[in-house]
Amino acid sequence: MKNFTRRQIALGGGALAGGLLLPAHADNYPQRDITFVNPWSAGGSTDAIVRQYSKLMEKVLAGNINVENRTGGSGTIGVGSVVRAKPDGYTIGYAGNSTLVYQPMVMKGLAWSKPEDLQPLVKLNSMPTLLAVRADSPVKDWADFLKDVQAKPNQVRVGVAGLRTSADLEMQQINMAARTKMRIVPFTGGSGESVLALLGGRVEAMAGYTDGLRGHVQANAMRVIAVFQKGRYEPFPDATPVGDQSGFTSATLLPACNYVIGPKGMPKEVLDKLVNGSRQVVTSDEFKAFAQRAGLVLDPMGPNEVRAELQRVVGTYETLIKYLNANKS
Amino acid sequence: MSSFDGLMHGFAIACTMQNLIAAFLGALAGTLVGVLPGLGPLGGIALILPITYSFDPTTGLIAMAGIFYGAMYGGSTTAILINVPGEVASAITCLDGYQLTRKGRAGAALTIVAAGSFVGGTASVLGIMLLSPAVSRAALMFGPPEYFAMLLGGLLIFSRISGGTLAAGLFPMTIGLLLATVGQEAVTGEQRFIFGINELSPGFTLVAVVIGLFAVAEIMHLVATKEDHIAPVSIKLRDLMPTKEEWRRSFWPMGRGTLVGFVMGALPGPPSSMSSFASYRLEQAVSKYRHELGTGAIEGVAGPETANNAAATATLIPLLAMGIPFGAITALMMSSLMIHGITPGPLLMVNYPDLFWGLIASMYIGNVMLVILNVPLVGVWVSLLRVPQYIFLPMIVLLTIIGAYSVNNSMLDVWLLPLIGCVGFILNKLDFRMAPMVIGLVLGPLVEKHLRESLILSGGDISTFWSSSVAVVTWIVVLLVLFLGYLVRPKEVAADD
Repeated sequence: MKNFTRRQIALGGGALAGGLLLPAHADNYPQRDITFVNPWSAGGSTDAIVRQYSKLMEKVLAGNINVENRTGGSGTIGVGSVVRAKPDGYTIGYAGNSTLVYQPMVMKGLAWSKPEDLQPLVKLNSMPTLLAVRADSPVKDWADFLKDVQAKPNQVRVGVAGLRTSADLEMQQINMAARTKMRIVPFTGGSGESVLALLGGRVEAMAGYTDGLRGHVQANAMRVIAVFQKGRYEPFPDATPVGDQSGFTSATLLPACNYVIGPKGMPKEVLDKLVNGSRQVVTSDEFKAFAQRAGLVLDPMGPNEVRAELQRVVGTYETLIKYLNANKS
Repeated sequence: MSSFDGLMHGFAIACTMQNLIAAFLGALAGTLVGVLPGLGPLGGIALILPITYSFDPTTGLIAMAGIFYGAMYGGSTTAILINVPGEVASAITCLDGYQLTRKGRAGAALTIVAAGSFVGGTASVLGIMLLSPAVSRAALMFGPPEYFAMLLGGLLIFSRISGGTLAAGLFPMTIGLLLATVGQEAVTGEQRFIFGINELSPGFTLVAVVIGLFAVAEIMHLVATKEDHIAPVSIKLRDLMPTKEEWRRSFWPMGRGTLVGFVMGALPGPPSSMSSFASYRLEQAVSKYRHELGTGAIEGVAGPETANNAAATATLIPLLAMGIPFGAITALMMSSLMIHGITPGPLLMVNYPDLFWGLIASMYIGNVMLVILNVPLVGVWVSLLRVPQYIFLPMIVLLTIIGAYSVNNSMLDVWLLPLIGCVGFILNKLDFRMAPMVIGLVLGPLVEKHLRESLILSGGDISTFWSSSVAVVTWIVVLLVLFLGYLVRPKEVAADD
């Protein structure tokens, strides 16, 4: 994939060299292929969203978008390459709130440290974290689970797909807010491993997302007992919305929010095309249908609203980090 | 519906023009992608993913599966002919495959690979059909402590994989383990030994290391010794085909390879690329001709190549039976299903019988296509060897550079080639073996990960490593293999037979 694209560009090298010297002309943007960087590996929940977005965006912009997976560092490598890219509108990328806000707080040397250091284009979706137990578990619902965890500190194990991913951070938030001591077990091979651990009885519960869980719930191997958001969650209407319970403010709820971002300093006309095009994509019927199938919550937001949302999360993460350092788990 | 009905239904679906073409193109693309070092089945599948959106999901899956097992076959072609492994899994094929080429038996080796791939792939599909539910249940019995036992055992067992003294294997393996610690640690996210170079965060790119170790080191060796590359090669059909003797000797290795490959592919823990290594090690332990391994024994090619096709097909089991993808390739397939609105899960077989049985039937057909595609090509590949060395070697160097760069678009990987090539050259001169280094690089991080996960799960309690019966049995099997191998050995054919 990258091979062929590189060769194409090399063949047109002469023409492009001249073209690159000129500033990007907005009226005929895009003049060449746009690179969309996915900081997560191919396959997995992010891939489906990224490819759906690119497919629709290609039509809106009347151009070609190449999805490139640049993985590593919990998303920081791919996001870093977008933030550092030339702001000509030909490199944009996908980023989640944990990579954008949490990672700079714990990693040094990243290309950005605050939301102002990059240009958000649109909010794609949020995915609330779900809590699931095995179908034959004695825990019947969220209230049961909470009682269980409070009665047995450090014994109830909850699997998550990776350290300091949104699901992990969410469960740590719950530990902090409810003053419980769940043992959160990170499985680095992705949600598949935590699913197997739950089915095999090695953990008592797991925190994950709809796409990884739905098939198992349908097969009656698992039950989703809680969803960490306010209000009913359509794909699993029986799951208790924890955001509605007393003692859990909305600060506790950290859905994984995914955005499209670009480097700071893109020319206004190019930026406008990207922002408006993206908005068109996320409000289109096709995207809505896709979101429904995948259990995504659509929440279209423009650049300024995204900045505000990221800023709100900064405070939450700072408190969480203080708590985690104090309780070195 | 019963398995037989399902299969017949599946053939009806797989034999539509659209699906036949998809299978053919997939196998072809996969073979090409496999032959090119660096670009692997993952890259190939990612490339065609957008194209599959316009077709129905069954067609898309058929094409992707075709690329996957096609690449397993293609990777061995360059491994055998020029000691350049196309994939990690083909690295072990370099050992005997390249020696066979130097003996003038390249055509035979390639044909045996084609046959073995067919046998492994087909048997594995049979396994999927009949054993999926059993395999899923078995997969649930293995967790981090069990995988730790298995993979640590694997490290120890594979250390003797290339023969030689214990040190010849353990020392490079340790180097491999050390190299594997560079980069971001999986469980805690700590960056280790990257010295500020962020590109090193994912660790050393495995394919680049493998190419450097086998291909570049070998090229350096050829230049240093000014050897003639390969004896003048004839392309008479008789010489291209394996002799009766070679077929006979390949029979049992293919059978053993199928079993090993199927098990390693179906179980989520061990990486499927290790299936070929496991098969080679098994041949080393039980084959009548094991003393010839390393100098061009056909067993060293028949077993591993059968195993890796069996494994490639078997990795689909967790996806098809449980909706859990293990590895990036099956994850991509799952992604494509989800875009079509299909939720993979344990009910996939029940809710989407067309998809499931269509895919299975198509894999049978695809394996046949692979053989038909590749056996005639053997002559073409072999004639490449007649190119004079002063043109051939620079071409190979170019190929390896493009291959290494194509994995991550990173110059770092290209710089790795001469670096690791030098390491490999020195190791060779000192009579150390290189395959254990690859094993250390692959298994090291996994052993560490499972160790930590086990301890986190048990809250620091070490007894978790022997508390489940599956773990105990695994340890016993590992110890048996390690020690009984010395005590009870099947009769070896005398060296001057």
